[in-house]
Amino acid sequence: MRPAALSLLIWVGGMGVLALLQPVHAHAAGDGVQAVVNQLATQFMCQCGCGLTLASCTHPVCGPRDRMLAEIRRLVEAGKTPVEITDALVAQYGEAVLAAPPRRGLNLLAWWGPYAALLTGAVVILLLGTAWTRRPAPQAAPPSPLTPEERRLLDEELRKFDV
Amino acid sequence: MSEIGNLSVALAALVSAYGLVAALLGAGLGRADLQHSARNATYALFLLLTVASAVLLWQLLARDFGNAYVASYTSRDLGFWYTVSAWWAGQAGSLLFWAWLLAGFGALVVWRQSAYRELMPYVVATVMGTSSFFTLLLALVSSPFARLPFPPADGQGLNPLLQNPGMFFHPPTQYLGYVGFTIPFAFAVAAMATKRLDDEWIRATRRWTLASWFFLSLGILFGMQWAYVELGWGGYWAWDPVENASLMPWLTGTAFLHSVMIQEKRDMLKVWNLVLIILTFGLSIFGTFLTRSGVLSSVHSFALSSLGPLFFAFIALVLIVSFTLLAVRLPWLKSEGDLDSLVSREASFLFNNLILVGAAFSVFLGTIFPLVSEAVRGVKISVGAPFFNQVNIPIGLALLLVMGLCPLLAWRKASAANLSRNFLAPGALGLLTAFLLRVRGVGQPVAVAAFALCAFVTATILLDFHRGAMVRRSHGEPYPVALGRLVLRNRRRYGGYIVHLGVILLFAGMAGGAFRTEREAVLRQGQTVAINQYTLRYEGLSQYPTPGALVTAATLTVFNGDEPVGVLNPQRNIHRGHEEQPMTEVAIRSTLLEDLYVILAGIGEDGSANFRVIVNPLMMWMWIGGALLSLGTLVAFWPERREALRARARYLLVGAEA
Repeated sequence: MRPAALSLLIWVGGMGVLALLQPVHAHAAGDGVQAVVNQLATQFMCQCGCGLTLASCTHPVCGPRDRMLAEIRRLVEAGKTPVEITDALVAQYGEAVLAAPPRRGLNLLAWWGPYAALLTGAVVILLLGTAWTRRPAPQAAPPSPLTPEERRLLDEELRKFDV
Repeated sequence: MSEIGNLSVALAALVSAYGLVAALLGAGLGRADLQHSARNATYALFLLLTVASAVLLWQLLARDFGNAYVASYTSRDLGFWYTVSAWWAGQAGSLLFWAWLLAGFGALVVWRQSAYRELMPYVVATVMGTSSFFTLLLALVSSPFARLPFPPADGQGLNPLLQNPGMFFHPPTQYLGYVGFTIPFAFAVAAMATKRLDDEWIRATRRWTLASWFFLSLGILFGMQWAYVELGWGGYWAWDPVENASLMPWLTGTAFLHSVMIQEKRDMLKVWNLVLIILTFGLSIFGTFLTRSGVLSSVHSFALSSLGPLFFAFIALVLIVSFTLLAVRLPWLKSEGDLDSLVSREASFLFNNLILVGAAFSVFLGTIFPLVSEAVRGVKISVGAPFFNQVNIPIGLALLLVMGLCPLLAWRKASAANLSRNFLAPGALGLLTAFLLRVRGVGQPVAVAAFALCAFVTATILLDFHRGAMVRRSHGEPYPVALGRLVLRNRRRYGGYIVHLGVILLFAGMAGGAFRTEREAVLRQGQTVAINQYTLRYEGLSQYPTPGALVTAATLTVFNGDEPVGVLNPQRNIHRGHEEQPMTEVAIRSTLLEDLYVILAGIGEDGSANFRVIVNPLMMWMWIGGALLSLGTLVAFWPERREALRARARYLLVGAEA
């Protein structure tokens, strides 16, 4: 089979699986308020101490989670925007209610620190790599002659290679 | 029996300390007898900790509730296997389990790798030094053999969250991974101490590294699977600090696995490899520190204790000693190899390492950032899943891209012909995938990019398999035989490719999360809820006792369109002794395409039930990817006769030149 044909086969198989998937937005519209609440539940931390978002709190029975979800639902039904809901929850619970810290001040270190580190690393690699490629190649030392016995041993070992 | 356990642990601490001192003195003074004695101490240590472990297991199985640990983690109605798993369910037991594994690995190294005579005293010293820390904790701070003045009639039982088959797979594999990295670290320390800084220590520990990485990968995958079926929120990774703690050494360990190849092939990256293994070992301990310290709130909060400062001090000591040794040895670590081109496999491995370590740094920074914020600003903040997803998804995609590029770039310098031959068709395939997904209305750019990259990387790998098989076929072998022999004769290379295919499936499964749909519904008997092509009809509730719990199960008939395809029974269980903590047992209908995941979220007094129904696409492919990753690692791990012969030939050559 030619590489192009194999590529085609892989791709047809992969696309077949993907074709069966349905984009999420096709269903989100019909779910209304609940969909918005579900979405917002991924953005706020549960206040029960589990350290997870409202959407992923692991407690089957969780008063703080249920109260917060009810509060979010009430605000959504009252026509509040996500920004207004966020402001309301931050005013009530503090900044720690946000599952992702706001992009300002010291928090920028968390948001951009990894990319800054990656960029610095990439620049270092490029600079060092360029310098290394310009270095003159070291002269290879002439191989030391092997004694007949060493040669015999080496040949014996190499013969065992199943090439 | 507890006296025997306590005595064994105390002697183990003494033997560890003795082994550390004897190994260092033996190496420093050139005393072969002390070195020999230190090596024997590793066997004694293993024996003592085996006795201690056997005592604990006996007490667990005999329900000796006079032992405080047994009373805390078992009960009379706990099944046999969960009782055995109580060994690592609590802090003291898991410390003993860790110490026992470490002692076993230490004894195995001394037994199997005694040929590395110059390195061995320092390897033994490092293992014994680490063991000293753990055995001292066991002897002085957290004993699994502490007695209660008045034994209770029954124990408190195992936390219901831990009563899942995952308990038998996730912690042991995770620990095997964490503890396993001690051995390559010990060899690295030994290489620095003895100035034997060529690739000897790397060759000596290749299989240890691979095995540790394998177990850590398995531990993470088992943890994901456990979280998925047990925690009842429909996901498998919540970016919990303890989850992150396991991911960090995995990322640096993966970088190490790749970068050692550069040192083996080109004699480069010597300092970098040492840094990576020090970081990997440090991060392995950091994982335990996070689990045990409680400095960050975690889903693993059942494991909190006051051991945090001690672990922190140990990590600090390890890092200070290791990096000081590295700094002192820098003059001996000059690389002899040079880079021929920035478009070469060596250079692409540098970027692969950069991205892996960058990902580890990103996870580390996010994990500890709440502490940083509180220390600097005095403001408590949270860093949860949305942050980690946003920051790490681009890094993950870059990693996927590099995974496709690295293996097929030529060593030294890739020519234009090499690039076109290996990447033209796969690249076009990736772009076409992206284009068609967009045309079809898939709006999530991240999912589009991920699937396109998955197509690209899969094509590069399969093309390489195909080309290799075709070369063998041209020598007269039938294609399937050629393919099989290609893998078996080049296990390290093709095992690695199989691992990559597994990782691609994992990425595809993660990208499938973009198509997740969710519904919540309160149903009365006979009512239905529809999600995608499924309709679920609520048939009613049943309640029945089991030996350990009172089970309330809902029955839902599942229709795919109009056709009934099965029955699901999500449960809500109240475990004896943990009545305040009812547990959800989710019901999952898995197909290759998607999982239908149902949670019984609540029960009304009128018999109505609140269900959360989720359709998780491509989940099965994540677990298949995990299996493929394991298979590939086993292929790469399996001893290759030719490799051993190559090493012997190389040894002879070096010996002849010396």
